[in-house]
Amino acid sequence: MLRSCTAALRTLRALRQAGRRVPRCEPVLARRWFSTEKVIPKDHALPNPSWSKDLRLLFDQFMKKCEDGSWERLPSYKSKYTQKSEDFKTYFLDSKLVKEQLSQAQLFTRGYEDGLGFEYVIFYNDDEKRTVCLFQGGPYLQGVPGFLHGGAIATMIDATVGMCAAIPGGIVMTANLNINFKRPIPLCSVVVINSQLDKIEGRKLFLSCNVRSADEKILYSEATGLFIKLDPEKSLI
Amino acid sequence: MIRRGLRVAARLGHHGALPGGPYILPTFSPASAFGSSMDSLESEFCQEKTDLKNYALPNASWCPDMLNLYHEFLEKTKADGWIRLPSFKSNRNHIQGLKLPLVLTASSDKSDCHIFTRCIKTEGQGYEYVIFFHPSKKKSVCLFQPGPYLEGPRGFAHGGSLAAMIDETFSKIAYLAGEGLFTLNLNTRFKNLIRMGSLAVLNVGVEKVEDQKLYISCIAQSTDQQTVYAKASGTFLQLQLEEDSSQYYTLCLQESLLPTALPTGTHPRAAGGVREVTGEVREKALSFA
Repeated sequence: MLRSCTAALRTLRALRQAGRRVPRCEPVLARRWFSTEKVIPKDHALPNPSWSKDLRLLFDQFMKKCEDGSWERLPSYKSKYTQKSEDFKTYFLDSKLVKEQLSQAQLFTRGYEDGLGFEYVIFYNDDEKRTVCLFQGGPYLQGVPGFLHGGAIATMIDATVGMCAAIPGGIVMTANLNINFKRPIPLCSVVVINSQLDKIEGRKLFLSCNVRSADEKILYSEATGLFIKLDPEKSLI
Repeated sequence: MIRRGLRVAARLGHHGALPGGPYILPTFSPASAFGSSMDSLESEFCQEKTDLKNYALPNASWCPDMLNLYHEFLEKTKADGWIRLPSFKSNRNHIQGLKLPLVLTASSDKSDCHIFTRCIKTEGQGYEYVIFFHPSKKKSVCLFQPGPYLEGPRGFAHGGSLAAMIDETFSKIAYLAGEGLFTLNLNTRFKNLIRMGSLAVLNVGVEKVEDQKLYISCIAQSTDQQTVYAKASGTFLQLQLEEDSSQYYTLCLQESLLPTALPTGTHPRAAGGVREVTGEVREKALSFA
């Protein structure tokens, strides 16, 4: 079993290196190889009853854009058991890391019941090196009463910009995030976060992003980000 | 209850009660905001006599580093001028009796809203933090322990969770130091990852207050200060909250203190002069008349 697992991993890596389009996250396959349970993790980047009409409309518009292959919807799981996270663990972490913590851990932005926290889906355009995140912030993300917490917006900007950096860049880490808030975002409204890869200099990836209302008429925030591609030769700790 | 009603009445006092007319966002008036009224800002914020649950207290999930530093700062609250800030479920609890200027009131304002950093209720799973504030030095220390629900890279806290913790600490300091309300800019430079379950100490200071803006900076470090996790700076917009007159009528009704006519004049924390009350309050006044 172990031999077939390693063989499959090697295939996946080879496919990626050959530049073939493979899904970035493979938790379904991974679970079948590494565990006897047939649990299929839930993909949270799909409509659920808490999604407002605006969010669903935008989702449908982008799904249409996916049909010709120029855009890709990125699945999103609560537990980050993905190829990338396993690579991160292998190369960058101390093997003596406390196991209990890892088993309880869940991706920060997916730890809420439907509709209460972050409801979002990210689409990626490989040719243009852009990501678009459709985001609806729920009542558990409040800051100033009636509005979204600045930290929640920062989290989503980090997630969207981070994804935009990670797809071309591999395993990356946020080095800098500079956000200008223009207007407060009302709680439970839908916003569109557009992120763009501006340039790559060695291991540095420079990105920018803006946050607009669903109809694009209101500019809520603008941000720039610097991400660093991690060096597999160097451990993080 | 009666004492509270009278206290609210005294605070609302002479609010300028001519209803109707368009509402004008008051320009911030520093002269009226600072000085003795800052003490009232802190005591209103801290809501000392309250049944609300205070989340900024030690629990079983706090690591030894966090407990030690907590007790160290608690000692400093006795003599060195530090205050320990309480932390309630929602920012609304911190500003009871106050509200945003009406032009900024959002339409969705559900009662089940939680402040972002207090929405993960299970002890130790999300944000465990407590903020200590020194009013005269305008500086603050936040003890922050991220739990497994804040995961980003495996075994470490999500960058967004640290940015959120910094923004949250900034926002409390901005409010207490100078009625800063909205974040205008947040610039975070991440240096090292924070291991889940370990302590990060955020040292925050107000750099300056200028042109209706507060400039704040922070360094997030490990307990022994050997590792810098992040450096950040933020800018906040000063904006005064208004007295929530609708609460005045509710309280008066309960205490049988219905006024026959509203007094005129100014409240010490107002921008000065008679302020026009919004149409919304007028409606409420009519319904109780």
